[in-house]
Amino acid sequence: MTVETPDQALVRAAMEQVWESMLYAVAEPWAPGDHPDFRNGLQAQIALTGEWNGELRLTLDGTVAAEIAGAMLGADEDEELPELDVHDAVGEVLNVVGGSVKGALGGATALGLPGVTPVTVAPDHDDCVVVAWRGSPVYVQVVPAAG
Amino acid sequence: MSISRDAFNFVRELVHAESAIVLEPGKEYLVESRLLQLARQAGHDGVDGYVAHLSERRPSAGLRQVVEALTTNETSWFRDVDPFNTLKNTVFPALAANRTDRRLRVWAAACSSGQEPYSIAMTANDTPALAGWKVEILATDLSEEMLTKARAGEYSQLEVNRGMPASSLVRHFTRSGLNWRLNPAITQQVTFRQLNLVRPFPPMGRFDVVFLRNVLIYFDLPTKRDILRRVRQVMAPDGHLFLGAAEMTMGVDDAWERVPAGRSSVYRIREEQRACVPW
Amino acid sequence: MRALVVDDSRAMRRIVGRILTDAGFEVQEAGHGQEALDLLTEHDTPPDLACIDWNMPVMDGLEFVTEVRSRPEWRSITLMMVTTESEQSRIVRALAAGAHEYLIKPFTADALQEKLDLLGLVPLTAGDLA
Repeated sequence: MTVETPDQALVRAAMEQVWESMLYAVAEPWAPGDHPDFRNGLQAQIALTGEWNGELRLTLDGTVAAEIAGAMLGADEDEELPELDVHDAVGEVLNVVGGSVKGALGGATALGLPGVTPVTVAPDHDDCVVVAWRGSPVYVQVVPAAG
Repeated sequence: MSISRDAFNFVRELVHAESAIVLEPGKEYLVESRLLQLARQAGHDGVDGYVAHLSERRPSAGLRQVVEALTTNETSWFRDVDPFNTLKNTVFPALAANRTDRRLRVWAAACSSGQEPYSIAMTANDTPALAGWKVEILATDLSEEMLTKARAGEYSQLEVNRGMPASSLVRHFTRSGLNWRLNPAITQQVTFRQLNLVRPFPPMGRFDVVFLRNVLIYFDLPTKRDILRRVRQVMAPDGHLFLGAAEMTMGVDDAWERVPAGRSSVYRIREEQRACVPW
Repeated sequence: MRALVVDDSRAMRRIVGRILTDAGFEVQEAGHGQEALDLLTEHDTPPDLACIDWNMPVMDGLEFVTEVRSRPEWRSITLMMVTTESEQSRIVRALAAGAHEYLIKPFTADALQEKLDLLGLVPLTAGDLA
């Protein structure tokens, strides 16, 4: 069985499910505007290995990350979540998106554990699925393994 | 979080005018939970603001969406669990013992997006007494949109998560991208047709089992009575009627008797009324 | 009733834990399979339910399920996978290993509640939940 690189429509659909069920929001496409500079940004990665090899990489602004974590955990508006919780929530969002994508690919592919760091690689805007969170962009890029 | 009295009253009057369906006080939570998604899609934080906007501007598309959201059943698979256990353990075996033609007919009278009739089909497949039987399921709904979705027999991950036992998911579905598609063995048992319960029923034969769950609650008393009377006319004399957990025939149409089954009940036509039914 | 939530994500433990608490469970948490086994060993009476992620460090959910099912004193625990692993083959594997139910992430609170109904795990009466 040949497994093709996951396409953007699949990634977008997976994000829509996560937004709807975990964040109680509608994942609208982001209306193009100024891309943030991500100086306070976070980046999550999760690896897929097996019949398709590569990773999914999620990039978002730090404030957006905190809001998403708050929505996911049902935190009060003015509750400031510890960094650990924000990182964990962002990682879990990508984990669930990654699991859905992997399941839809078919074939034998394994999902790694998510990692979350400050932004190290600015997202390639043209190559990303960009979904809005309260008007701000959340990027997910499918990055096939080199070779 | 709760809906204001003004907003609830506006929605209540709107839904009654458009569908003859009555939302009693106490249904505030239902109204709020069903409208919240619409409100958010329209850019409002809460239901009150959204309803205020609707009552001021009266956009026809928005008003129709509200009526649809409140008259369409939320659907999970094997909804409430117990009726399907009763079907499998009591009703199907009893009917199987009473029939010689190895054939049963079931009517799902408000099938929405198809979860209920397909759950009935899966239950029939899992009933040992019906091995080798032909179980035909007629599924009807008011909404063509719902019927189109139901006929497709394909559901999202979020939809199959709702009440579907894992063992049924792996046996009766095949993964299709992000979605799950019902196998032909199940979809072939179900026929979908548009039907308005308020109007006279078209010719559709006689049913051994009727599911009329969580739909009567939306109608006023005379309409409920009329629907239950006409359902009797399409039932086999020893047929079984399933209603929603909060519904009953008592005081509405007393030609039915309640039979305790599992943690809930089924309804049968009273012995003395069976002769009155014209075949 | 008591439930054990086994997931390496703090966020997910909090989400699942809250739904179970609302449903009337007393909830304990573990970050991976080994930690969960340790918790089970410490207690005299096992929990009624364990909700288990699949991909976790140290010991994954499938190993944990296999281990629990091999121990007669833990036979009464209802095991439910709650995981993003969603291939048909994975579900079959988990059920074969002894999981009773399987909930795929992402899920809504209603979906988890309905799984509890399927499993007959309803600590509160139906009237309280309606």
